[in-house]
Amino acid sequence: MNDINSFLSRLNSTINFSTILPEIILIVGLITIVITDLVNKGKNAIFLYKIFLISTLVSMGILFYQLISVIAFEDLYTNNIFNNLFRFFILICSFISVLLSVDYVLCSKISLAEFPLFKISAGLGGMILSCATNLITIYVSLEFLALSSCFLSGYTKRDIRSNEASMKFLLMSGASSSSLLYGFSLLYGFSDGQVQLDNIIDKISFSQYLPIICISAAFILAGTAFKLSLFPFHQWTPDVYEGSPTRVVAFFSVTSKVAALSLFTRLFRLIFPYLSNEWHIVVELLAISSMILGNLIAVTQRSFKRMLAYSSISQIGYVMIGILAADLENGYASMLTYTFIYIFMNLGTFARITPFSLRTGTNNIRDYAGLYMKDPVLTFSLVLCLLSLGGIPPLSGFFGKHYLFWHGWKAGLYISVTVALVTSVISIYYYLKIIKLMLTKTTNLVDTLKTYEKQKSLVSSVISTKLKSSVEMAMILCALASTLSGLFMDPIIKITRNTFF
Amino acid sequence: MNLSELIHEFILALIEPGILVGSIGTVSFINTANSAFSLGLVFTCISLLYFALNADFIAAAQLLVYVGAINVLIVFAVMITDQSVSSDSEKRGIGYFTALGACSILFLTIVCIFHKINDFYSSSIHQSEYLKLNLFEQNDVQNIGYQLLNKFLVPFELASLLLLVALVGAINPARDEDEGKDIAENKKNRLFLQLHLVISPHFSK
Repeated sequence: MNDINSFLSRLNSTINFSTILPEIILIVGLITIVITDLVNKGKNAIFLYKIFLISTLVSMGILFYQLISVIAFEDLYTNNIFNNLFRFFILICSFISVLLSVDYVLCSKISLAEFPLFKISAGLGGMILSCATNLITIYVSLEFLALSSCFLSGYTKRDIRSNEASMKFLLMSGASSSSLLYGFSLLYGFSDGQVQLDNIIDKISFSQYLPIICISAAFILAGTAFKLSLFPFHQWTPDVYEGSPTRVVAFFSVTSKVAALSLFTRLFRLIFPYLSNEWHIVVELLAISSMILGNLIAVTQRSFKRMLAYSSISQIGYVMIGILAADLENGYASMLTYTFIYIFMNLGTFARITPFSLRTGTNNIRDYAGLYMKDPVLTFSLVLCLLSLGGIPPLSGFFGKHYLFWHGWKAGLYISVTVALVTSVISIYYYLKIIKLMLTKTTNLVDTLKTYEKQKSLVSSVISTKLKSSVEMAMILCALASTLSGLFMDPIIKITRNTFF
Repeated sequence: MNLSELIHEFILALIEPGILVGSIGTVSFINTANSAFSLGLVFTCISLLYFALNADFIAAAQLLVYVGAINVLIVFAVMITDQSVSSDSEKRGIGYFTALGACSILFLTIVCIFHKINDFYSSSIHQSEYLKLNLFEQNDVQNIGYQLLNKFLVPFELASLLLLVALVGAINPARDEDEGKDIAENKKNRLFLQLHLVISPHFSK
């Protein structure tokens, strides 16, 4: 008993628990969900979603409070603004994607208690990944995120495409995280057994071990570029996005990319500053090829989800320019602003596809023809989000891209910015193609839309008004954020400015 | 080299061919059960390697987790699936040779690097530094426990949550939700699967 007392007092003195309080609240929410589901024996699943929402909101509140102060948590975390902003982004992603998936409860026959469990655990993994400064914490939280995303993507187990998607995701993420681990092991070995990122830079002597550092950088790049779906490592993205359920794709298309962005930036900024010329060139090449490839292949797609997968590959290419263009006075402002806007744009687009695929059961772009007549709200909000993704002026996507490219031009990345501008124009083509399809009245409607009206009434008698409005609330929230964030760019840029480390 | 170094080299020379033979056997046996058993040989030899390198806790954990739980599960899964003997090797296309070339280049690179580092480290300065560290009298297990709960608290607790989520996620696609099936049989299946999945991560924790 004496030992426990002394241990607890030592624990309290060395570890300041208030810094990980948002994560602790998410963990409490996770355990509550498990216990509630056990007690309720599967009934009343909406209550579980309410628990999820409440815990996410409370975490966000505490994170807001902590954004003001910068505390260092022993060796494991540092809560500078960069990390806190990423945690906040991931909480926003979780919150909005839970709003999207509430209607899943009544509309499908499979058990649903595990769905919020996996979502909370993926959000938790992403949050801890955003602040980890320890090789071991990075690896464990990355695996946590990847494993939860994999279970989420295989959730509809009767659907064979979902099985295929989760198999592909599991195998490829396993291969990539093993290459990441190999890079980490090289760093661990040659820095005399240090696991902390700061200590690694202190102890490792760059001049002596330069080839080892280069090899380690290559392996770490391979491991993180998989999660970001950059060019040669993007092959899993279209199949996984097409196969998984739409709400799941909405969730992990933003969450895992945001978490992987923070990991990538932190690793390459902290560990390889002496190699910055080399890895800048490589990342620039990867970014250019992902932009070109993503946009060109997205033109030819016939399924909406696959097209969004390729377009998200190209969006990450744009964000890479932001990472490369970071300098002392602006920090990572361009990357963070664009990520913030990208979250809302992407989630907004998925928020529109979800009810559409629920009501008509199809994801083909051709079936969206003439949607304007059947459901104007959905059409206009989808139009806003797609235009924002493309980068058309009054919407926030334009301001995000403009700031990103201007920052990149100022930093001297002329080729990348030119390629990005050209490929943005190409992307406008395929977004506008969908918009034109939706807005034009066709004389003979597609079969799917003829049954749209009937199904809508059937579905709305099943879903209570409260649930239907949660998806619409998410839609409206994302539409507003996509439109109006452009007007509030200045405060956002000011917040994200001093994030250089 | 004095006698202790000679013995050390001899033991390593015994263990390493075991690992090599086992891993080649794992990938090239046609019968999957033979392949699973040679994987067990690889894990056992790795555990002996840890013993030879004076890491007793890791060696015991490796034996318990890898050989005792994971390999047993693999053999169990292999034996329970009813599989026909796979056909003989197909024609080796261009992909085979490309992969062979890439793997051999990688292997040669790693061998060259390790030779360079080995020359560097076998100079006498580093030998004396390592002897000064006096690794032989520390209590490994206590040290590991102390570090786990102080320095590495967050990854440790996160790993336990990861195990919980992995358990739930593994049972989730595997369980049966047909209402018409016999409830007792359902419960028995679920319990069996859960028991098996509970025991193996328990040892790894």
